[in-house]
Amino acid sequence: MSSLRSRTAQEISDLLDEYEIKHGPVVDSTRNLYERKLKEAMAKGRKAKPSPDKTYYREEEEVTYEYKTPVRSDGAGDSGSYMRSRPAWNEREFEHETSYSNYSRPKLEYGGQQFSDEPHMYDLPSTYKSSYLKTTPGPSKEAPKAPQSSRLVPLWVQFLFFVAVAVFLYLVFSSMETNEPIKGIE
Amino acid sequence: MSSTSQKHKDFVAEPMGEKPVMALAGIGEVLGKRLEDKGFDKAYVVLGQFLVLKKDEELFRDWLKDTCSANVKQQGDCYGCLKEWCDAFL
Repeated sequence: MSSLRSRTAQEISDLLDEYEIKHGPVVDSTRNLYERKLKEAMAKGRKAKPSPDKTYYREEEEVTYEYKTPVRSDGAGDSGSYMRSRPAWNEREFEHETSYSNYSRPKLEYGGQQFSDEPHMYDLPSTYKSSYLKTTPGPSKEAPKAPQSSRLVPLWVQFLFFVAVAVFLYLVFSSMETNEPIKGIE
Repeated sequence: MSSTSQKHKDFVAEPMGEKPVMALAGIGEVLGKRLEDKGFDKAYVVLGQFLVLKKDEELFRDWLKDTCSANVKQQGDCYGCLKEWCDAFL
């Protein structure tokens, strides 16, 4: 503990404020009084507010969107695996065709429609993938190129897959109910 | 005020001017001598100290105790006297 006597009047005043001691100006006639009060306060260990540390919370600054890179690489892989799964799914469609021979035609048509849909859908994944192929060889930076969402699988892909699964389930369900061919899909 | 002394009434009745420190209520000869030795030879000097301590009762009492070893009653009398004077004339 440094000697209070050697401190400046301003320091004494600041110390008094820290210990929340009501005081007036620190002049010659009042100095002794305030020094004594500070000694008492320090001895008692009263609540002393230390000088506020200027801690900056840099967590927000340091947060970088690093997970973008795995998203992109996984997205490319995902689209590739997605493309693989699609033909497998279409194969299952044809299996259903063999079991329900009555529906071969509409199913074929539906399959055709599916196929017609596929190039349309694969256009996007192809361009999607090509954009990935362009950028993945290069240094994968943190900066997101396109307005990519933070999803592992893009939203439209999820939506499309959901619609496809719903349609498939509807088909299966309707085929289980009646034996009539599905006329709506032609 | 019920228990104010004659000294108190005399002091607060008029501007203090050059009155000695012993004119203050609660300050007798002994305390007055001690204050004079410390440089507080006139009542207005003690008034100055009272004002520098922002007319705060606790601070002034502590200062009086430190400076001239005044007891609690003497501290109270002197504080009351100066406070009333300030209310009237300051």
